[in-house]
Amino acid sequence: MRHAATLLAALALAAPAQAQFNINLNRLLDAGKNVRQAAGEIDEKEEIELGGDVAARLLGAAPLVPNAALQTYVNRVGRWLASQTERPNLPWQFGVLDAPQVNAFATPGGHIFVTRGLLARMKNEAELAGVLAHEIAHVLKKHHLKAIQKNAQLELAGTALSLSRRTEDADKRAKLLAAGSELYLRGLDKSDELEADRLGVVIAARGGYDAYGLPAVLQTLQAMNPEDSGLALMFKTHPAPAERLDALERLQPVLDAHAAQPQLAERFVGAVSGR
Amino acid sequence: MKAVLLALLFPPLALAAPATVIRAVDLKQAPASDAATVAALAEQSGVEVLERKGGWTRVRTAAGAEGWLRMLALRYAATGDAKQGDSGIVQLLNVARTGTSGTQVATGVRGLDPEQLRNAKPNAAELKRLQDYRASPDAAAAFAERGRLQPKQVAYPKEGG
Repeated sequence: MRHAATLLAALALAAPAQAQFNINLNRLLDAGKNVRQAAGEIDEKEEIELGGDVAARLLGAAPLVPNAALQTYVNRVGRWLASQTERPNLPWQFGVLDAPQVNAFATPGGHIFVTRGLLARMKNEAELAGVLAHEIAHVLKKHHLKAIQKNAQLELAGTALSLSRRTEDADKRAKLLAAGSELYLRGLDKSDELEADRLGVVIAARGGYDAYGLPAVLQTLQAMNPEDSGLALMFKTHPAPAERLDALERLQPVLDAHAAQPQLAERFVGAVSGR
Repeated sequence: MKAVLLALLFPPLALAAPATVIRAVDLKQAPASDAATVAALAEQSGVEVLERKGGWTRVRTAAGAEGWLRMLALRYAATGDAKQGDSGIVQLLNVARTGTSGTQVATGVRGLDPEQLRNAKPNAAELKRLQDYRASPDAAAAFAERGRLQPKQVAYPKEGG
């Protein structure tokens, strides 16, 4: 892809210096930049910005629960877990979304959300840690970033070829954002989800939590009625809980080695109920 | 009030959820592999789930025997209420929220259903609030210590297990 960018830029420079072509030059360079970004050279700053854009969109669908103590609590749990990973210096931020649906989200750069609906079905802090650790793993492995880039790349291939089309910075950003938002409706590859489960239980164990928190949440989800409208999007975008539990059984030695660690039910219930 | 809170926090669903075992397992007297066997359960036996302790779950069999088995040997029957209901801690969250900021009447307008997500406009003010709630690594470490959480060195598993 980088060759394509160089070729386009070279073509543009070879063009006569007329006003019309200057505009074309800018467009070509823009397209070249698009291709560069789409080809996997998004740096950490761009990753965080893109993740912020996507997070703002999620927050447009559901704002934060207006409870500062609860938001602070979830940030402490999440930040503690993130500190145990290979990307401790990202600007990690965690939020409880005011939505009855049962779901959790991560956007690039360390923005992580859990819904009020999912939080309400957890029994202790170890379960919360398991879910946040799963989302943290998506950020560590850049699952969403890679999928967004892949989608945008397909779209931008078209842009680069139809040079008469206007391409502006805002368009570019909107395109990545659209690719990003669409991803949360379609979901990641199943292999990404199962990888996030494997890494998630390890990250929770590293944080000193009962490693069975995430499997416990998966069992809770399994016990819910799949017809529940609050589950529809989560079930559409994730492998079935039974399949995820099957995959986690292979980690039983790791899980058992860290099963006796704290669950912190009391602290969790206190934070969630506002006492 | 406390009794009501407890009832809300631990709804009956969590106390006696029906489940089946995915393979033949021994029901143990205590949550340990070397504990005495209470009963042998055949694959697909139905049980009622009572509580979890680490990787073990206490269950009651159809014959009335109680004991522990491997948590991951259980798969649950989907018996929850089909409608999207506010129960358990959800209710408490609502109570807590009403207490701090008044009521939010506009439920159902916003939310995270596919259509709502597709039509959502970016909310910069909420993004700013999200950033403001960030915890510092030090604050998080102090919080972990208060919970007696001990950081551990644990390697990531290899692909596929």
